[in-house]
Amino acid sequence: MPEFLYIHIPFCIRKCLYCDFFSVPYDESLAKAYIDTLCKELILKKDYAKSLKSIYIGGGTPSLLPDECFIQLFRCFRDNFHLSSSPEITVEANPGTVNESTITTLLSLSVNRLSIGIQSFHNDELRTLGRIHTSDNALQTVELTRRAGMGNFSIDLIYGIPGQTMDSWHQSISETIRLSPTHISTYELTLEEKTPLYELIQSDEINPPSPPFIKGGTWGFSNKIRMPDEELILEMYNHAIDFLTACGYEHYEVSNFTLPGFRCMHNLNYWDRGEYIGVGAGAHSFVSGLRSINSEDVNNYIEHLNNGTIPESESTKLTTLDTVKEFIFLGLRKTEGIIINKLPPFIPPLARWDRGGCYSLLNACSELVDDGYLEIENGNLRLTKKGLVISNTVIVKLFERLM
Amino acid sequence: MNKNIRNFSIIAHIDHGKSTLADRLLEYTGALSAQEMTEQVLDSMDLERERGITIKAHAVRLLYKADNGNDYILNLIDTPGHVDFSYEVSRSLASCEGALLVVDASQGVEAQTLANAYLAIEHNLEIVPVINKIDLPSASPEKTKEQIEDAIGIDCSDAILASAKEGIGTKEILEAIVKKIPSPKGESTKPLKALIFDSWFDNYQGVIVLVRVFDGKVKAGKKIKPMATGSVFEVSQVGIFSPKMELVESLSSGEVGYIIAGIKSVTDTKIGDTITDVDNPAQEPCPGYKDIKPMVFCGLYPTTPHHYENLRDALNKLRLNDSSFIYEPETSLALGFGFRCGFLGLLHMEIIKERLEREFSLSLLSTAPTVVYRVTKTNREILYIENPSLLPEKYETTEEPFVATTILAPKDFIGPILDLCQEKRGVQKSFTFIGKDRIKVEYELPLNEILWDFYDRLKSLSKGYASMDYEFLGYRESNLVKLNILLNGEVVDALSLIVHKDKAYYKGRELTERLKEIIPRQMFEVLIQAAIGNKIIARESVRALRKDVIAKCYGGDITRKRKLLEKQKEGKKRMKKVGKVELPQEAFLAVLKVK
Repeated sequence: MPEFLYIHIPFCIRKCLYCDFFSVPYDESLAKAYIDTLCKELILKKDYAKSLKSIYIGGGTPSLLPDECFIQLFRCFRDNFHLSSSPEITVEANPGTVNESTITTLLSLSVNRLSIGIQSFHNDELRTLGRIHTSDNALQTVELTRRAGMGNFSIDLIYGIPGQTMDSWHQSISETIRLSPTHISTYELTLEEKTPLYELIQSDEINPPSPPFIKGGTWGFSNKIRMPDEELILEMYNHAIDFLTACGYEHYEVSNFTLPGFRCMHNLNYWDRGEYIGVGAGAHSFVSGLRSINSEDVNNYIEHLNNGTIPESESTKLTTLDTVKEFIFLGLRKTEGIIINKLPPFIPPLARWDRGGCYSLLNACSELVDDGYLEIENGNLRLTKKGLVISNTVIVKLFERLM
Repeated sequence: MNKNIRNFSIIAHIDHGKSTLADRLLEYTGALSAQEMTEQVLDSMDLERERGITIKAHAVRLLYKADNGNDYILNLIDTPGHVDFSYEVSRSLASCEGALLVVDASQGVEAQTLANAYLAIEHNLEIVPVINKIDLPSASPEKTKEQIEDAIGIDCSDAILASAKEGIGTKEILEAIVKKIPSPKGESTKPLKALIFDSWFDNYQGVIVLVRVFDGKVKAGKKIKPMATGSVFEVSQVGIFSPKMELVESLSSGEVGYIIAGIKSVTDTKIGDTITDVDNPAQEPCPGYKDIKPMVFCGLYPTTPHHYENLRDALNKLRLNDSSFIYEPETSLALGFGFRCGFLGLLHMEIIKERLEREFSLSLLSTAPTVVYRVTKTNREILYIENPSLLPEKYETTEEPFVATTILAPKDFIGPILDLCQEKRGVQKSFTFIGKDRIKVEYELPLNEILWDFYDRLKSLSKGYASMDYEFLGYRESNLVKLNILLNGEVVDALSLIVHKDKAYYKGRELTERLKEIIPRQMFEVLIQAAIGNKIIARESVRALRKDVIAKCYGGDITRKRKLLEKQKEGKKRMKKVGKVELPQEAFLAVLKVK
């Protein structure tokens, strides 16, 4: 049974230029109706879990919600779910949307982890991303988080931003370390199709089209913006790994770093291919071997639950082959890799898997191990540093040999 | 009886309206009602219709009551419209006494008009000129007539003005067929002599042979044999196409129809062969039979090795229906097990490849098409090289096939066309005006040079106005060398090609540059080299893949990211692994894109 609960809050003040997630403009009355609806879905799903090890409230921008919404939501958790002895409870917060009272409220509700979307400490880079905050806003948010007594927080950073340099990236990492978060995520900026940033990069325009839910947005660029060179991005990534590791942060997943003892349990569950309950518009669930998605449309979501049904827009029944693939590509995201002995019995490490002519995992990786893209140590199969940066290619090769 | 039969073909340049005219004749004579008419009945294969060309010849019997009150049997024998099939065209024409020469009134005389008209004259056919598409605003019938008279030398004073599309002139055409085209000669009492002008394999009835009976008579129960191959068969059925298949009691001298005789493969019924009576054989076969040889070869390989058997079965099935294409197993170091296949020409090759992929759901990899080179070894032994990688290290002489090429174009475009022929190692043989503003040039060109982009370039140089046709001349000595391509130091046999020495450096450079664009980045650097013998003449490299990683993967991303990886894996399925390097199909055809 799943022991992990994800709550999706699809509201933002405005959409960032690079974001392809579903979100709608924040509106207090809609948010309140939405929280009521979340509670309805939680009640319908209360028997899905025996005991919860983690709750993660993500978005969108959950920190936009008024305090009473959090109070209502947590009351609903208590009334319907059993929490394990020391659950990890995370809320995502964006600078510029958090005040002292928010943090105090969250702490009083036993939230014990904050994930702060800072992205950069350079205002020009933040502008390029279309973020609503400034570097000062970010510092203030961290300051009040700490002052309120929330010592366990994570900071998100982005590299590969148009205009970013090695120096500016180094400064952002240094500034982050100075704030001594327990956890740091560094994401390469991924240019997703159908985002304003993508359109801007593809076209010859200097100014981005006004992003959704803002009228007359005026943040033109003075020059045509370009994605940084591949080699520079690679250098930024390697620098983050080297520097953060040197500062005592453990690199435990492709994009995640932590001080000892502060790994994000909730996210590790995804990479271990554990089950989870998702609640909210557009939330994904993995329950009883079935992956499903709730309808993204907030109004549709509310309407359905008013009628007592959960609006699932899609659900995927996984074949054995899909399952094997998931174990591999998710597991290899962790630097410790896949613990071979913990794989389910249908992925035999050595014997040939005869259904569908699937070879054993170890046979399939032997050449990739010989060529130095994968390594096997103490029963763990993992990507080497050389394999990590081209992990998709390595994984696809492994798929080809397995199937 | 014979005097009321007329056997005729329609000859035309592509798109001059041959199929539409055939439809109109069928409709007018009531062979098919307007409702039954699916457009262009004679082009029955899907592929033919899609490409707008006629590949296989067919024969249809039309019944026509002429103005003189007599009933006539008109046998329309359709001809393929592409130079790849010129032998088949010649056999269809040999089965006729006359031909309608259809020329588009706005386009005028084109290269295939000439080639087909000359062929008809060679066969002593009565030619009835038809100026088609006179309804078009750009039509200029007088100019077109003048061009026909100039270029072909036939009188056009009573050429029929027609529009097949609008049904104009249909009756006049039918009357002219009756009046101008002679009735067939021949004796029903003589020993059987029937010319095969088409044959195909039918899943239910075996091989169906289309014949023109010159002498004698054939009916069910007779023992027959094709004279060139000599196997004996017993006729089970004879009939005609109306255009529906209809049984008749017999086919006699002068008539056109089909024979079914329990024949298992079209290799027994080669086009141009003569069928005769086993018990009372003809002395001589009909003249003009040739065992035609494929001109263009390529290697066909399954993209996944375990489809080898499926490919062999599919080739075998297609061969049942097409004796002009051949195949034999070959092994490539780079591509594994496959087949070396020979075709009449590039179009023929494209058609077979497309049918293999479409009708047999095969995923194929083909090497670049090549002509057949003739090599004399130092010991005087002669080799025919159909696969460039097999060119021996030492030889006395190398020869390549040459073709006589005829190009027609408006005079404004002639400059660049001459430059193109020059570039392709052509030797000019003639230069003549046809009418006031069209020019006909004849060149002798190596077949190899006109195989791939020549026609496309000719078309684009002339804004589509130039047309061309060619015929095989023979082998001529040429200074040829083998150009090898090496990937990370290993020769890839499937990428080897034979080139003229003067062009080798240029081609080597172009080819490595092109391969650099085509070969995707891999986990390691890929070094691409071109070499003549041991001498490296060009070098490029594809940088190793540096970064390919999914930045973010949480609960909501898993299915999407799995699909992303699967897509990446699918993309690789179509690649062929040569050593450790993965090559897309385009790599093997890259040589074609090099000028």
